[in-house]
Amino acid sequence: MISVLETPIILRVIGSALLCLGAFAALVSAIGFHRFKNFYLRLHAATIGSIWGSVYPLVGSAILAITVEELGVYRWFVAGASIVAAFIVLILAPAGSHALARGVHKAKVARVKPCIADKLDPELCG
Amino acid sequence: MSSLKSILRVFLIFLLAFAIYTIYTGSLTGYDIVTGVLVSIVVSVVFSGMIIKNPLKPLNAIRWFYLITYAILYFTYYETKAHVDVIKRILHPKTPVNPAIIETYYNANSDYAITTIANSITNTPGTVVVEIDETRKAFYIHWIDAKTLDPLEAKREIFESFEKFARRIFD
Repeated sequence: MISVLETPIILRVIGSALLCLGAFAALVSAIGFHRFKNFYLRLHAATIGSIWGSVYPLVGSAILAITVEELGVYRWFVAGASIVAAFIVLILAPAGSHALARGVHKAKVARVKPCIADKLDPELCG
Repeated sequence: MSSLKSILRVFLIFLLAFAIYTIYTGSLTGYDIVTGVLVSIVVSVVFSGMIIKNPLKPLNAIRWFYLITYAILYFTYYETKAHVDVIKRILHPKTPVNPAIIETYYNANSDYAITTIANSITNTPGTVVVEIDETRKAFYIHWIDAKTLDPLEAKREIFESFEKFARRIFD
């Protein structure tokens, strides 16, 4: 009981809020995967799952872990690992998205549909 | 002079590797410090030549100031705006989309700046960089709501402020 009172409650609220945001974003991202009918549109839904769905909740879990004093010294390990993982996801997730988009467009596997214009290869439009 | 610069380069990468090691392990016991220092020395000696060319750039406080400002602005304003827009499109009964692959031109020179701009564009939902043409300095971006096909206007809509910050941080 004392440990709960001593921990800064604001950090717990921020950490929990970021985790809830992550859960919501992951759900919306999954719904988007089913509702969008084209490969390129699904990439945008996947981006929601990688930034609000994993970077933000990882930062949230780091903030939350610092306040949990029952973990002892291991809370710094949990927090540090979360921060480093968030940073790695932040710089590598777009590299993956870009590689997928570039590969699919070069191999002409998926058409851009619906389509206003395709400046890179007009044949793939529509 | 050049040997002094390469020593400084190794030292900076050593600091970076050791900081990541310490944050990741989250402990400052003697064992962790010794293994961290050993691993960081090996990593910094092998990779410093690849990672930084000019060791004076990371020591510039103004660049760090812009990096922190950019990070705060990006994670609060730009990400929220883009996420809310795409979430609205997903949950809307008709999933309204208006996609196109557009051509825009960037104006940055160093690899780090170009990568930062491209990663920032791809990390905001609604825009994905499909192809980069480095000879013509062109990004080909798949945009979920193509308001315009004009390169300059599209740049203003998507990444003009990213480019401004990336050039001040890395160029």
